[in-house]
Amino acid sequence: MSTVTAQTPVPTEPASSGPLLRVAGLHKTYRLGRVDVPVLHGVDIELGRGEWVAILGASGSGKSTLLHLIGGLDRPDKPAGGRPGATIRFESQDVVAFSHAELNRYRCRDVGFVFQFYHLLPELTVTDNVLLGAMIRLGRFGYMSERAALHETAARLLDAFGLKSRLRHKPAQLSGGERQRVAIARALINDPSLLLADEPTGNLDRKTGAAILDVLAEIRRERGQTMLMVTHDPEIAARADRIVELVDGRVAAQKH
Amino acid sequence: MYQALLTRRYLTSKVMPLLASLAVVLCTAMVLITWSVMGGFLLNLTQAGRSLIGDVRIAWPNVGFPHYEDLIQRLEEHPEVEAASPIIETFGMITLLENRTEGILIRGIDGESFARVTNYADTLWWKPLDEPMQKDKAGDDVRLEPGDRDLLRRVYDDGLSLTEIDPDTGVRESALVLGIEVGGWNVRTDWGGYYPRVQFITGSDGSSEMQNLFMPAGGELTVLVVPLDSRGRPMEAVTSRLPVANEFESGLYDVDRQTVLMDLKALQRMLRMHPAKRVVRSDRDEADPLGGFFEEDDTANAAPEPEIVEDPGRVTAVLVKQADPDGDVEAFRERCRAIYAEFAADHPDVPGAGSIGVETWEDANRMMIGAVKKETGLVLIIFTFISFTAVFLVFAIFWAMISEKTKDIGVLRALGASRMGVAWVWLRYGLAIGVVGSLFGGLLAWAIVTNINEIHEGIALSGDWLGRTLTGTAWNWYIWDPKVYVFKEIPHSIEPWKAAFVLVGGLLSCLLGALLPAARAARMHPVQALRFE
Repeated sequence: MSTVTAQTPVPTEPASSGPLLRVAGLHKTYRLGRVDVPVLHGVDIELGRGEWVAILGASGSGKSTLLHLIGGLDRPDKPAGGRPGATIRFESQDVVAFSHAELNRYRCRDVGFVFQFYHLLPELTVTDNVLLGAMIRLGRFGYMSERAALHETAARLLDAFGLKSRLRHKPAQLSGGERQRVAIARALINDPSLLLADEPTGNLDRKTGAAILDVLAEIRRERGQTMLMVTHDPEIAARADRIVELVDGRVAAQKH
Repeated sequence: MYQALLTRRYLTSKVMPLLASLAVVLCTAMVLITWSVMGGFLLNLTQAGRSLIGDVRIAWPNVGFPHYEDLIQRLEEHPEVEAASPIIETFGMITLLENRTEGILIRGIDGESFARVTNYADTLWWKPLDEPMQKDKAGDDVRLEPGDRDLLRRVYDDGLSLTEIDPDTGVRESALVLGIEVGGWNVRTDWGGYYPRVQFITGSDGSSEMQNLFMPAGGELTVLVVPLDSRGRPMEAVTSRLPVANEFESGLYDVDRQTVLMDLKALQRMLRMHPAKRVVRSDRDEADPLGGFFEEDDTANAAPEPEIVEDPGRVTAVLVKQADPDGDVEAFRERCRAIYAEFAADHPDVPGAGSIGVETWEDANRMMIGAVKKETGLVLIIFTFISFTAVFLVFAIFWAMISEKTKDIGVLRALGASRMGVAWVWLRYGLAIGVVGSLFGGLLAWAIVTNINEIHEGIALSGDWLGRTLTGTAWNWYIWDPKVYVFKEIPHSIEPWKAAFVLVGGLLSCLLGALLPAARAARMHPVQALRFE
């Protein structure tokens, strides 16, 4: 596999010495009908720059919810009953205090998502799927002015993932592993600081899953990419630098 | 950017939006075709209504006004006036063949000037034709007969002059020009023309004799009018027996059914409106309480010599045609009113400028035009409501598509798309369907409207063939039957502003249909959208 790079040179040294992400006192409750279902009960996590952390937990432990809150797809519970509000600090920014527009920008520039079921848009080609994030980030005129460079970046990413011959294919024409590699390329197109992967191998057989983990490991090695991966499989979690075990919405243990 | 990409991909990879576009195509085409045909119908009707009126009519009904020659001269001296013509309009009776008597509108016209002001010459039916009419595929029109060309040419000239040579005396005498439906001796053909009725008369000996009813000659029709005196009081009815010089078809059934034209001077004489000398004995007429009885030896009170006064001829209206056919007819009416005011100032015996009726051809036909406009509006409203189904169709299709694409919406939000950005995907998609649907709808309407008579003919011929093949009898699938309607062709007129209005309407309908689904997509919570099963 060739070197994985997006459009900007990859910093090998962190920009500052502090953690990239710091989460403290994270509570989240969902309402199902008339019933409140608490999912997270004050989660605290830190993520160092260039670190690969796996959140390990059984189904229903709140690991995907944690990922969504960190990725700005959802908001944590507001302070209540004397409980202080949650903190999600990314670089020096308070994600919890972000407006809608700031959250959109955060999801677009700072975070890249990889989902268990790939979530590629079936009508778009592989290249278009990868470029989607760039189109959203740059808008019409920005995208048009950088179109050639972006296409080159997308082609390089896909080439690095062994998808050079698949650029014009639709997702339906790809295998599960190929689709997940396209999804990873899509997550990297805007060169985000943080890659969030929700059970990235959960829908793949063991061999293909292992290949995807190899891709993630390669990305981390080549780009120094900070990654937060959610999984229920201890064997997969073991590929990460650090494992944070989540049980019933609480951090039960942390292992290096 | 991603909105444009998704719109393009959704449009080309889904069947449902194509169905929505098809619905917009059909609705747009339906409204535009209806509007074009109704608009064409209105246009033809108004042109037909204008055909025997000119642009402006200066009228003082019944009694009429004198010195009209001076008014016409003043009008024709003005550069905005093309021509002016005097007419008399009055109600009367006509006794047709077999003593059938009908109430009619009689118009006395000066053929030469009337033809300059109106398109009277074109309305004359009996004239030689070089080419058959469009619907007359078989060339059955009797006016095409080469052997009758001289006769028809003579009849046409007679129609223009409203005179005919008496076959017995060889003298040219005043004649009538009847609306084509007045006499009842013409048979309407399948292609919208006429041919003279022929009837068979059985004699006392049982023999049968064919009688051609083509325009009775030799003073066979009787016209009755009631003249009025200068104060509008009716005098003794006057009748006159006249031949028929020609017939006219104006395009308006009511006019063709109830109007008879005759020579202006002849009608003036019948109505006592012609120039005449009158003896006035002013003492008796105005001052003498004894009514003009004088003592023989009363020289001081001797009767003065009677004075002979020349009464000028009168007409009830002067028709005026403006030089610029596309000019503002309202402004032209005001110009005519001003000219009349100058004329009235010089003639104290004519109605004042404030009293005289000066109306445009639109004013004169306002009842008819208003009714058709209302009908057009009503039909358009009905069809617009029907077309509104396109809005609901787009709404239903988009609602279903957004349910199907919920995960995609979640992905877009996860990649940083804003709520407005997601909404714009669907609004833009609706707009694209609207643009495609409206444009193709407009093209379809244009293709149908410009070929509507050929299509209609094709449908009729199909009915004819199918009926003969299946049942042995032709089926009449004529929707616009020229036998029934005054206009032989289905009228149509696509005006650019109407087309633009309908196309924009189609586009807005799609946008309206996409509005709620787009709002729903925008309001979707990204996590719920990603977890949607």
